[in-house]
Amino acid sequence: MSTVGLAQKTIAQHSGRPEGELRLTRRPDGRLWAERKGEARAVSVRRCFPWSEPARFVSLRDDEEEEFALVADLSDLDGTSRAALEAALAEAGFVFRVTAIREVDEEVEIRGWRVDTVQGPRRFQTRLDDWPRELPGGGILIRDVAGDLYHVPDPQALDRKSRRLLWAFVD
Amino acid sequence: MTRQTQDQHILERYTDQPARLPEELRPQLEAELGGDIRLYALADLDADLRLAETWVALGDASVALARRDAVSGVWATAGFARSTVTAVRETSGLSNGVLTVEGAPGEPPLAVLRYTQRQRRAMENLRFVLDEALGGRSVPTGDADAMYVGGVAGPVREAQALVAGREMTVLRRLLGYLRPYRRQVALGMAAATVITAVSLVPPRLAGYLIDRVVRPVQDGALRLDRAVHVAWLAVAAMALVYLVRQAAAVVRLRLMSVIGEWVTRDLRRELYTHLQRLSLSFFSRKKTGGLITRVTSDTDRLWEFLAFGFVDVSLSLVMLVGLSAVLLTLDWRLGLVMTVPVPLFCWMIFRHGEGMEPLFLRAWRKWSRLTDVLSDTIPGMRVVKAFNQEGRETERFSTRNADVTDEINRVHHVWTTFWPALVLLVHLTTLGVWVFAVPRLLGVDAPGLSAGAFVSFLLYATMFTAPIEVIGQMARIMNRATTSAHRVFEVLDTEPELTDDPHPVRLEPVRGHVVFENVTFGYDGVRQVVRGMSFDVALGEMIGLVGPSGGGKTTVINLVARFYDATGGRVLVDGVDIRRLDSGHYRRQVGIVLQDPYLFHGTVLENIRYGRPEATLTQVIDAARAANAHDFVCKLAHGYDTVVGERGHTLSGGERQRVSIARAILNDPRILILDEATSSVDTETEYEIQEALDRLIRGRTVFAIAHRLSTLRRADRLFVIEDGRIVESGTHEQLLALPSGVYRRLYTLQRELA
Repeated sequence: MSTVGLAQKTIAQHSGRPEGELRLTRRPDGRLWAERKGEARAVSVRRCFPWSEPARFVSLRDDEEEEFALVADLSDLDGTSRAALEAALAEAGFVFRVTAIREVDEEVEIRGWRVDTVQGPRRFQTRLDDWPRELPGGGILIRDVAGDLYHVPDPQALDRKSRRLLWAFVD
Repeated sequence: MTRQTQDQHILERYTDQPARLPEELRPQLEAELGGDIRLYALADLDADLRLAETWVALGDASVALARRDAVSGVWATAGFARSTVTAVRETSGLSNGVLTVEGAPGEPPLAVLRYTQRQRRAMENLRFVLDEALGGRSVPTGDADAMYVGGVAGPVREAQALVAGREMTVLRRLLGYLRPYRRQVALGMAAATVITAVSLVPPRLAGYLIDRVVRPVQDGALRLDRAVHVAWLAVAAMALVYLVRQAAAVVRLRLMSVIGEWVTRDLRRELYTHLQRLSLSFFSRKKTGGLITRVTSDTDRLWEFLAFGFVDVSLSLVMLVGLSAVLLTLDWRLGLVMTVPVPLFCWMIFRHGEGMEPLFLRAWRKWSRLTDVLSDTIPGMRVVKAFNQEGRETERFSTRNADVTDEINRVHHVWTTFWPALVLLVHLTTLGVWVFAVPRLLGVDAPGLSAGAFVSFLLYATMFTAPIEVIGQMARIMNRATTSAHRVFEVLDTEPELTDDPHPVRLEPVRGHVVFENVTFGYDGVRQVVRGMSFDVALGEMIGLVGPSGGGKTTVINLVARFYDATGGRVLVDGVDIRRLDSGHYRRQVGIVLQDPYLFHGTVLENIRYGRPEATLTQVIDAARAANAHDFVCKLAHGYDTVVGERGHTLSGGERQRVSIARAILNDPRILILDEATSSVDTETEYEIQEALDRLIRGRTVFAIAHRLSTLRRADRLFVIEDGRIVESGTHEQLLALPSGVYRRLYTLQRELA
């Protein structure tokens, strides 16, 4: 069994709390509120496995950075809660999704990229020895000097030129 | 170029976002604010998390927003009074941040700003000012344009301090270093020209011999004794040619190698001297390894370029032009056959080089994956063994090892195909010369061709390959040189952030009266690590600095030692602003004992005498005794002559600490800084060190940081520093008397743990 699989199993065994009664709503103040056993708290969401298991194990954390609840599986929630959580996850899990690579050029110390993303066209720079990271769930992730992340979900599905430019960076 | 214009240049060159607030927007935002813009930032994501443009500006009393409509491009502005803000919350996602400005509780927030990491620093500036205002404090903001552009350009600037200049500018600057040696360079170039010129003689001579001596003799047109005479003359001429050529080669090789070394020596000296001038902040930004390679391998590469690349490239150009000219004058028809494909060959080599780049990049990536395994597992061998994972690690290494080999073999495959193929093409041109020449040689085709001309032609043709190779690689040679030159100039162009007054004050001696007057300090942006701190420390007083890590204790001592200058307020020593002091002279009178003391490679004696090389041996022993170091030093086989430091005898942490205390005692500083001096040693050693420190602090002004509060029992006063401010100060007893004091809490906690 892989280490990731093992870890998941362990957590699942230990987190046998009934999450069914957990309710999530977005209130007028714009924040996600979690409610359980009459206790309500504004929470922020954190995926435990953002790349290997994005739809499972979401930690709901209050303003003191303490875990209010751990959602083992999104399907454990009722429809409204799930929709509210998914909206919050979309925001917390934001990365640029690359659809095409237009240009890659090298300069002293940095490599410049020009890409098209779902969010719009973008130029960014990486350090020369900062290689794209292969993700457990497939695809690669590029991190630029400012810390922005660029996800290429399936490098093989890109157009010919993008694939050629990316060739040196993916296996 | 100022920092601000440099940053603007970075934004224009590397991003698609404006280098400053759009001009057309400024009046609108100012109208909304009812005053000047103090700070601004760009929120570059909309509610759907698509790239968008919303500018947020901060005024003295209001906040204004301008959102560009994605379709019409029209700006919509809005705003709210700062007095309505009740809280500011910043949350960060994987690649984005959200700044929520809250108004009345339960109401929708006043503003929700979404942005990518690139805008984070500029946004943080805004948040910091708003946050401080909520706490009733105002923060000086500086120039709004500079703060914005500095925040956004920061990450690129840190990755590459010098914005990449044009290749030619960098090369010209590098060649400028040859100027002091221009006479030698001229001589070297002249010698190289001689080599090129005389290389053209032998083929011509061979042709002459065949046409004017051998053939006439065979035909009976020339008398044999006369021919022998001429032939010997030709042999002598050949000998002379080779002699001159090799003599010139000696001059060229030696001169250019030597000049190359001189230039790199100059560069290394300039680099190292400059490094010593740079502020500590520079060294915290750059990796040590990177700086070392700049002084060593980069200058070495520059030597390669100056000694060979630069001369070879320029002379190969001359050689190609010269050869083509000779061939064309010798016989323009055959000359054309030979010269026309030359640009094609150069282009092919160039393209080959370009095509190899992704291959090299891939091989480099695989290579670093392989070394990652090594740097991962060798230091972590204990863990590998403890979990019995040797097999898996070996497997991981083998996979990556095989990967690297495949990748590098791909590189070999490409070049081993290319070069023989290219040589084949060159041979084909020679073959073309034969095809055209043979009928003419035999007199079948007109015009006829003499055997001599043909021979010299063929000999010339063989000389083509070498310069073509060099020219084809020119791009790579230049690229390597400019990259290295760039990395070297980047350091040279970094200005020290700390500059001394042109007419500095020298305190002889420093007495040790230290005053902070409303001192603020921030490393970057408007965020302050020290916020309006004031205190007065008398001569010979010992101050203990306590508080949570990240609270600003280390920054305070960095300011006392003048490793940094305060961004606001003043630090006074003996009544003089520390910025007016000669910093070197001042620091000699400040002693620092760190948690993990650094000993240089050298003997114990040299290390103790580091600050005062002229100290007598008696003084050294006295200092070592006072530091409780004398006894253990005597136990070492080589005594004070034991070599320590990197690759030397390994001293334990406590021993190194005592040597560094002896070093500080010998230096006799008036102001002493102890940064966690006893935290990394066992209790018994701590006792010895504490005893040594007690001797050291006598009669000096001392600032001591300690987590273990018991080590500060001798302090006259304690400052509890939290979040950049002194929250409590007084003697141990006074602080313990505060019912809900921070110090009291920390002290009780430590007592319970002990």
